[in-house]
Amino acid sequence: MDKAQEIAKQEEKSVEKTREMYEATPAVDIYENEDEILLHADMPGVVKEDISVDIDNGTLSISGVRKLETEGAATYEEFSDVEYVRSFSVPQTIDVDRVEAELKEGVLRLHLPKSEAAKPRQIEIKTT
Amino acid sequence: MFTKISDIDRLFGTMNLLQRKLDNLYGDYERPSGYRWELESAAPRTNLYEHGDNFEIRAEVPGLEKDDLNVKIQGNYLEISGERKSDAPEGYKTHKTERGIGFFSRSFTLPADVDSTKVEATLKNGVLYLTLPKHEAAKPKKISIS
Repeated sequence: MDKAQEIAKQEEKSVEKTREMYEATPAVDIYENEDEILLHADMPGVVKEDISVDIDNGTLSISGVRKLETEGAATYEEFSDVEYVRSFSVPQTIDVDRVEAELKEGVLRLHLPKSEAAKPRQIEIKTT
Repeated sequence: MFTKISDIDRLFGTMNLLQRKLDNLYGDYERPSGYRWELESAAPRTNLYEHGDNFEIRAEVPGLEKDDLNVKIQGNYLEISGERKSDAPEGYKTHKTERGIGFFSRSFTLPADVDSTKVEATLKNGVLYLTLPKHEAAKPKKISIS
């Protein structure tokens, strides 16, 4: 009986949270050639200022927050405010200083150039 | 051993909180694009809002340009269709493709007729915004009581 009362009382102390942000995984396409790795992520409705791209110790994390400006309740809602989050492990051979990102039509495009040292090189065999 | 009504209320409040948390938990399985393979390439996710004299429709259409989309209106029937083209670069090896490509089409029957001459459509950040003013006959009218 006492436990039940304790649980009930707990509710009172907790501050009521405003609607929580959903976390979603953005769909991505990954392509690779000799010079770079490309990553295209779908993030509709997200603006440049709300995106963050981090590379740390071989892990690439992208996150973008979308806030829809809505007045009042929706009649029918299939998408709402969401935070797109996803991480990937990238090979150590990526040149972090030359990474480029572009946001267009709600698609985030990342260019991850490979460092010179990692590019495949043909070794010439000398005959003596 | 009397139980106060307010205590019972609080107990139900806690149970509601638990219910909501569970709803959110399963809700996540329906919402994120990673889990909705069929719907991803079949139809864009859409929201419908109603503000007095207008309907507003928003659809998630990332990666689409103006020319790739078609919007058709007739009375209270709305159809959004288009083609998502692949932006895969030439000569690259593909590791992963999750973003669906191809034609899609989605139609709606709106709760009221729309004035098709005054419809506005904008494409911003991969979201299509449609403002559909209601037909004169369908607008809410104030009735004065004599």
